[in-house]
Amino acid sequence: MPHSVSPSPIPTDAGPASGSPSPDIPIRASRTREFRPYPFRAAVHAAPIPTLRDGVEISGHPVVVVGGGPVGLTTALGLARHDVPVVLIEADDGVCAGSRAICISRRSLEIFDRLGAAAGFLDIGLPWTGGRSFYRDTEVLHFRMPHDELQKHPPMVNLAQYHIEQILLETAERDTSHIDIRWQTRVTSIEARADGVMLTLSTPDGAYRMHADWVVAADGGRSFVRESLGLALRGTSYQGRYVIVDILLDSDRPTERLAYFDPPCNPGSTVLVHKQPHGVWRIDYQLREDEDSDAAVLPGNVNPRVESLLEMMGERSDWSPVWISLYRANALTLDRYRHGRVLFAGDAAHLMPIFGVRGANSGIDDADNLAWKLAYVVRGLAGEPLLDTYSDERVAAARENLEHGAKSTEFMAPPSFAFDLMRTAVLGLAARHPAVRALINPRQTSAITYTRSPLNAPDGVDAFDAGPKPGAVLPACPLTLPATPGDAGAPRIGHVTDLLGSGFTALWFCGDEATSPVLDMVQATMRERGIPFTVVPVRRRMSSSGRCSGAVDHTGHLFPMFGARPGAVYVVRPDGHVLGRWQHPDVGSIQAALDRALVHGSIQGALS
Amino acid sequence: MTDGELDAIYTRLCQVMTTLGEPAATLFLARFALLAIAHIDDSQAARRLIDDAAEALPPAAHD
Repeated sequence: MPHSVSPSPIPTDAGPASGSPSPDIPIRASRTREFRPYPFRAAVHAAPIPTLRDGVEISGHPVVVVGGGPVGLTTALGLARHDVPVVLIEADDGVCAGSRAICISRRSLEIFDRLGAAAGFLDIGLPWTGGRSFYRDTEVLHFRMPHDELQKHPPMVNLAQYHIEQILLETAERDTSHIDIRWQTRVTSIEARADGVMLTLSTPDGAYRMHADWVVAADGGRSFVRESLGLALRGTSYQGRYVIVDILLDSDRPTERLAYFDPPCNPGSTVLVHKQPHGVWRIDYQLREDEDSDAAVLPGNVNPRVESLLEMMGERSDWSPVWISLYRANALTLDRYRHGRVLFAGDAAHLMPIFGVRGANSGIDDADNLAWKLAYVVRGLAGEPLLDTYSDERVAAARENLEHGAKSTEFMAPPSFAFDLMRTAVLGLAARHPAVRALINPRQTSAITYTRSPLNAPDGVDAFDAGPKPGAVLPACPLTLPATPGDAGAPRIGHVTDLLGSGFTALWFCGDEATSPVLDMVQATMRERGIPFTVVPVRRRMSSSGRCSGAVDHTGHLFPMFGARPGAVYVVRPDGHVLGRWQHPDVGSIQAALDRALVHGSIQGALS
Repeated sequence: MTDGELDAIYTRLCQVMTTLGEPAATLFLARFALLAIAHIDDSQAARRLIDDAAEALPPAAHD
C-alpha cells in the first residue's frame, strides 16, 4: 500500500482508472486527525518464474491478459469458463489498494453470476435502489432505479474495488488448471506480429520473454500496451475537479446515493456521498475554480469540509480519513478495440467519467463480450472476424456510455457558465416543478443493447410485440427451473438468466411437446462442430406428472414479457445478449444466424 | 417529451449559450423566452410561467 505525503498529480488525458478516482499516491498524513487504513488486508503474492529456455518461456500461451484488475480478472474467468487456459500478468503483488470503483451494477452482477462469483458480491456489497438530491437545504429529487419483485439482483451494490478484485481472485484461484496468475510481473515491451505477440516481462527475480497468440490489454487508464502500440484515446477531458475522500464512520444511515448541490456546509460546491461496506464512506466534493489543487487535497483543508458535511447530515460519530485524492473527469475512447492480435478492454480502451458509475461496469461488460468470442476463435469454433464484432459492439457501447456519462458530468461539474446557470435554474425550480426533476437524475449505468450489431438476426415478418430485441440482454423474470436428475422434492425457483448455458441457448416457448424437431436439428449440427447449444423448453404450466423437462412460467409473466406465442424461440449468445428470435422458427433461419456469427468472415466492418 | 428528449434539449440550450458567450446569454434567454411565449400562445399560461420563474428569486436592490 503506497505511503506518501505528496499530493497526487491531477490525471489528464489518460487519467485514473475510471469509475474511480485517481489510483495515484494518496495523502496519508494529517496534523489534526489521524489517518486509518482501510479495513482490508491484501495478501502479498510472489512473482512466479516459469521454465525458460534462452530467456524465453518454454510454453507459449493462447491468451495472455495484461492487468489483474476487475476487467482482467473477469476476462480470465470468462476464458476459463470456455475452457481456454489464460495467463494473467499483474504488476502489483496483490489486489489493489485505495479508493477506486465502488458501484457494481445489476448487469455486472448478472455477468459475475454466470462466472460463479456473484455470491461474494451479494454477501459483502451493500445493495441500493435510489438516492436523494438536495439543493441548499431542500430535497429536490428522490430517484429510484428500475427495480421490482421480478428482478434477481439489486440495481446496484456498493463495495470497494479491493473487495471486487478479491472476490474475483478467489474465484480464479479455484480454477488453477485454466488461470495462471503472474504477480509482480510487468510488461516492459510488446512486439506485435501477424501470428501473435512477444512480450518482455520484468519481475523482481529477473526478466523473461513470453509468446502469446492473443493479448488482452486490460492494463488500465495509463495502459502501457496502448502506449506501446502508439494508440491514443480521443474525446473530452473536463476541467471541473473533485476531491475524493474516503472516511471511516460508524453510521446506520441507509445505502443510497446522496447529492448535495450548493449545500450550507460547503456553499457553491457539489457533494456526493456513498456508503460502502465495513464503515467506509466515499465523499466527493467539487472544487471552486479559484481553489488550488495542491492545497485542496491537504488534510488541513479537507478535514474541515468533511466535518461540516457530517454536521449538516446530522452524523455525530467520530470519523477518520482513509484516503484523499483529486479527480478530473475524462470521456475518452479508442476508435477500435482490436489491433491485430491485441484486444483492448476496460480503462485501457476507454475512460468514462465517474458520474453514473460506468467505468468498472463498462469494463466488466467488455470482458464478458470478449471472453466467449476470443475463446471461440482460439478453439477454432469461430472465425477471427468474430473478434471485430467485439470492437464493433463495445465501441458502440462506449460511445453510448460516454454520451450518458458526459451528461452526468455536465450536471455534476458544469463545463461552462451556461451549464452552471442552467443547473442553478433546474435546482431552484425542481422542488415545485416535477417536470424539470428528470434533469437532476444521475443517469446511472444500465445494460446496453447492441442495436446495430452485425451479429443480430433481424426480426422477421412474424414480429414480436414485446421482449428483448436482437442485441438486448434478457429482462429478469422468476420461473421454475427445469428438474435435474439430482432434484428431489419441491421444484427450484430461479430466474430466466439461470437458464443460460455456457454456449448458445435456445429458449423454446412451448406447450406440452417433448421436443422440437427444428431445434434438435440445429443442436445436432452444432454438436458436430463442438459448439455448446442448449435447448431449454419454457412451458406455461407444470406437466400433470409434476415433473417437467423444461422451465415453467409459474408467474405467468414470462410469455407476455417475451411476446412469445407457443413455438417461439429466442437464441441467446454466451454473453446473455439475444442473437435472434423467431415466432415460427425454421432450421435454415436459426442456422444462418449462428453461421453468420461463427463461421463466415463476411461481417467485418458492417458496423461503424 | 421524454426524459431523454428533455435532456437533449437542455444540453443543446447550454451548448448554444456557451458558444454565444456570457455577455450575450441574457439577451439570448430573453429572445428564447419571447419565442416560447409566442409558441405557447396562451396569455394565462405565459403569465403563470413568468410568476413561477420569478418565484424565490431575490429582487434587485434599488437606490
